[in-house]
Parts: sequence; structure tokens; C-alpha cells
Amino acid sequence: MLKTGFYILMIFNFSVCCAQADSTAKSPFKNFDFKLTYLSSVIYPGVSTGIEYFIKQKSLDKSKLKPGNKILKKERFISGNLNWYHHPDFHDNLYLTLEWVKRKTKSTGFISEFTFGPGFSRTFNGGTTYSVNDAGDISVIKMAGYNYALITAGGGFGYDYSVRKNFSCLILAKMNIISMFPYNSTIYFRPVMELGIRYIPARRTSSVLKQHDSNSNK
Amino acid sequence: MRLGIFFVIILLLSGCQKEKITFSENVSEAFYIENAGASMRVLVQGNTANNTFIMIIHGGPGASSYLYDTKYISKNLGDKYAMVYWDQRNAGGSQGTTNSEYLHLDQMVDDLKKVIQVLKYRYGQDMSLFLVGHSFGGLLATDFITKTDLQLMIKGLINVDGSHNYPLNDTLTRIKLQSEGKYQVSQNRNVEKWEPIINYCNTHTGNFTFEESQQLESYAADAESYIDSVKYYSIVSQVLKYAIPNKYPVTSMISNIIFSEDSNFNKELAVTSFSESLHNVTIPVLLLWGKYDFICPTALGVDFYNRITSIEKRMVISPVSGHNLILQDKKLFCDEVNSFVLKYR
Repeated sequence: MLKTGFYILMIFNFSVCCAQADSTAKSPFKNFDFKLTYLSSVIYPGVSTGIEYFIKQKSLDKSKLKPGNKILKKERFISGNLNWYHHPDFHDNLYLTLEWVKRKTKSTGFISEFTFGPGFSRTFNGGTTYSVNDAGDISVIKMAGYNYALITAGGGFGYDYSVRKNFSCLILAKMNIISMFPYNSTIYFRPVMELGIRYIPARRTSSVLKQHDSNSNK
Repeated sequence: MRLGIFFVIILLLSGCQKEKITFSENVSEAFYIENAGASMRVLVQGNTANNTFIMIIHGGPGASSYLYDTKYISKNLGDKYAMVYWDQRNAGGSQGTTNSEYLHLDQMVDDLKKVIQVLKYRYGQDMSLFLVGHSFGGLLATDFITKTDLQLMIKGLINVDGSHNYPLNDTLTRIKLQSEGKYQVSQNRNVEKWEPIINYCNTHTGNFTFEESQQLESYAADAESYIDSVKYYSIVSQVLKYAIPNKYPVTSMISNIIFSEDSNFNKELAVTSFSESLHNVTIPVLLLWGKYDFICPTALGVDFYNRITSIEKRMVISPVSGHNLILQDKKLFCDEVNSFVLKYR
């Protein structure tokens, strides 16, 4: 438990340092969002941290921008993530993913997103791993585990505080299915739940929002 | 910075694999044996201080030892002995990458031998070890103890609804399905369910193909649920009850069972027989069988009993069990295993 806490602190500290490095519009990070989430694989704890690189925002028909449930913006990102979960006695899984992110934000601030992408997984067996040679000599294998190719797909819902308030972050709950292969000559699927925050240093939406609000006032 | 964190996490994760060996009355520790492309999970649970270990060899192929780890067994066997739950390769919580070429009986016997070697390395060479082979696990245990001198590594075998000769198994399954089916129909019980089974048995009389063998097994699995006196057992309820407290890797278990059920390994098994080498068995043997086991019928246990050379041997039949006596008649299972282990450890 102490170790888990330490991991979380380490990653959180790193994310805050990056996030606070420079968040002005002139920042070289203006196209990057920073993410820190609690990762839960069924009931097993984990952490996910990453960076989203903004690719594009779809132009919108301003006449359709009315208060309510209308979509304010559609964005595309490329997201790089480092994820880890701990399944006791089974394995620890440390995996990197590169995801294509499609996100819709409504004028109320509610968001929905879909992600898909490849990755790489390194597992670590959930206990001491022994090897026995033909002579019966036994040795302990350090860092025993396996490398897998990985594909992740997921979707989730959240709230973007920067739409209505001057608060550059969004919260998100997201369900992913990761598939690792070749796992015992087949494919291993695992559901993974994310709950967390994303820090958005330079809002790309402020102008759109202002236009939206002015339209609403008319 | 990010790279640094990555390495720190790697170092901390490696700490999770630190060797932990405990001798006490209430132990629960998992470790792995890596052999020929597979890391096989072994869970030792219960009383390790008593120096007596009972290892479950699960069925399948491709099922999991997780399914045998119940509160009842922990309370009635684990309090006195250490229960060892081994997930065979491509089963349960065992892991690996591309390793299907190693999925065959000789490799699994080698795996079992190495698991026992590691157990003795961890808990002492002088330990008393008993094997409990269930279903396919019975076949694997039979292969193991009929190989030269390997039976000397253990104190005794408990064969529960296990097979030792698949062609004979198919023949006996057909006979039992047919005879019990006719009796049930004569009693006007589940007639609509028994009739297709009886018809199939009437038209398939021997020299079974692999597909026929699979069909007989499928009918056999269903048949015990048509007998009123058989205690109902649901694998779904078992998973729902224990998946969280026992930390089941559910999706791994599912992937492994699906792969194993479809693998060519089953074609190898369909023609496997150890009847001719059973005379090599001299260690104490306890046979526990379900009266209504159609998958591995009682007559198969009788054949095993008659062929082994062991002087200390005993066969007990549960009147309320089908193929899963360990879970269907858990009191009989624990009582008989207790007596057997106490006598021969």
C-alpha cells in the first residue's frame, strides 16, 4: 500500500511540474493537455498519466450554437499514456499507449470521448518466479514477466470546467478494453476504468465560447 | 524525467517479486514457475507448519485451480495441511506469449515435476506431498506416477473422477449414458432430454471419431443435471462467489479455457491411454467417484483400481455427485482426504 501511494505521489508530482511549467498562450505546451487518472481494472488499483496533443478542432456552424445540449466543439487529439495496474498474485501491468482521441464538448460543459490505439505492455508476474533446469537446479528469475502488443479502445463521459468557469481542467470517467497478444497463443482482454482529471494549459476554446455566449445573448 | 519515473516504477515492481516463504498455520502466498514458455501460478494456502502438502491438479485441459479454492476446503483441509493450487500452462492465471507448441502431456508432466521440485525447495525436501487429480488432472497425475520413479516424489495419489484411458472413457461414457438413460425413461423422468442421448448412443457404437468423442462428452456433461439426486453445482455461482475475494483473473481464465478447448492437444488426448502402465503404481491411492459421473464413469475408476499394484488402495463412491465430487460432496471429499493423508503422510 505504501508503494502504491508512493507511485501515485511520484506521478502526480511529475504531472504538476509539467503542468505548471508554462501554461500561457505563448507556451510551447499550448497544444498539450496533461492527464492524471486513477486507473481501476475491475477492483484492482492503478494509475494512468499522459499527454494529449491537440490536432484539430472542427469548425462549427455558429447559428446552431444554442444553450442546451448542442455541441460546442469537436476535437481530435493524439494521446500518449503510461498506465499501470496491480492485480495481486497475478501480475502488475505497465503499459504504454498511443491513442487517437475524438472528443465532443457540449455548451453545458459535458463531454464525451472515444479513444482507440496501439500500445505496448510489460507484465511482471505476481510473485517470485522460479526456473528449474534439467539437473534440478533452481534459480529465481528477476523481473519475470512478458512483453505484449496491445490495442486499447474506450469511451467515456466527463465535464469540462473551462467551458463555463475559468478553471482549466476537465474530469472524466472512461471505460477501456485493453487486448494483449499473443497471450498464451491467444488474446487477453481486460476492462479498465479510468477516473481522473485533465489539465488544459491554454484553452483553445475561449474564442468559440465567447462567440457562443454572444450569440446566446442576442 | 519521465524515463526516470519509468525506471523507478520498474524497480518498485520488481520488489513485488521478492521471495516470501512462510511457515505458519495460515499462509497464503503465490509464486510462479517458468518453464518452456509459460509462467505457471502456484498458490500455497493454509497450514505450512505441518509439513504436509496437498496439491490440486485441475481438470480441463485449460480449467483453473482457482475453482477448487473454497471456504469449505480451507476450513476443513487448509487448517491442518497446506493446499497447493497449481494452474497448469495455458490455464487459469498462468501466463506466457506464443507457447502452444508446448501444450502436450510430456511437457505438462515435466511442468508438474518442476512444480514439485520448487515446492520442496521452498518448504523442505522432507515434506509429505499428496496429489489430487480431478478429471483431466487425473490423467496428468496418472501419466506422472507411471513414469519411472516420479511417484517416489509423492506420498500418495487421490484420483477424483479422473481419466486414465480416453478411448475406454468414451466407451464407458456411451454405455452409462445408454443404460441410465433407458432407466430414467422407464421411470418417465426427463424423457424428452434422454431420448436424443439414447438415440445418439444407439447409432454410435464404437471406434469413435474425435467429433463423436466430443459429442459424447457434451451429452455426459448435461446428463448429470437430469438426475434428481445429484447435487446441483453451478460454475457461474462459484465464480460470482469467489472471483473478488480470491482475486480471480477472470478474463485470463476465460481466454485460456477457450484456447485449450479448441487446441489440437485434445486430439492427442483422445487416443491417450495409460492402462498398460498402471501396474507400475505402487504408492497409496484413494479413488473418489461420483455415482452419476457420466464424463468419467465409475467403471473407469474401477478399472484404475484393478490395474494398479498398490497394496494401500481404496475407492469411495458418492451417491449425490456427478463429475465434480470435490464441490458436490465436499464433506465426503474432505473427510476421505483427511483420513487418507493422516494415514500415509
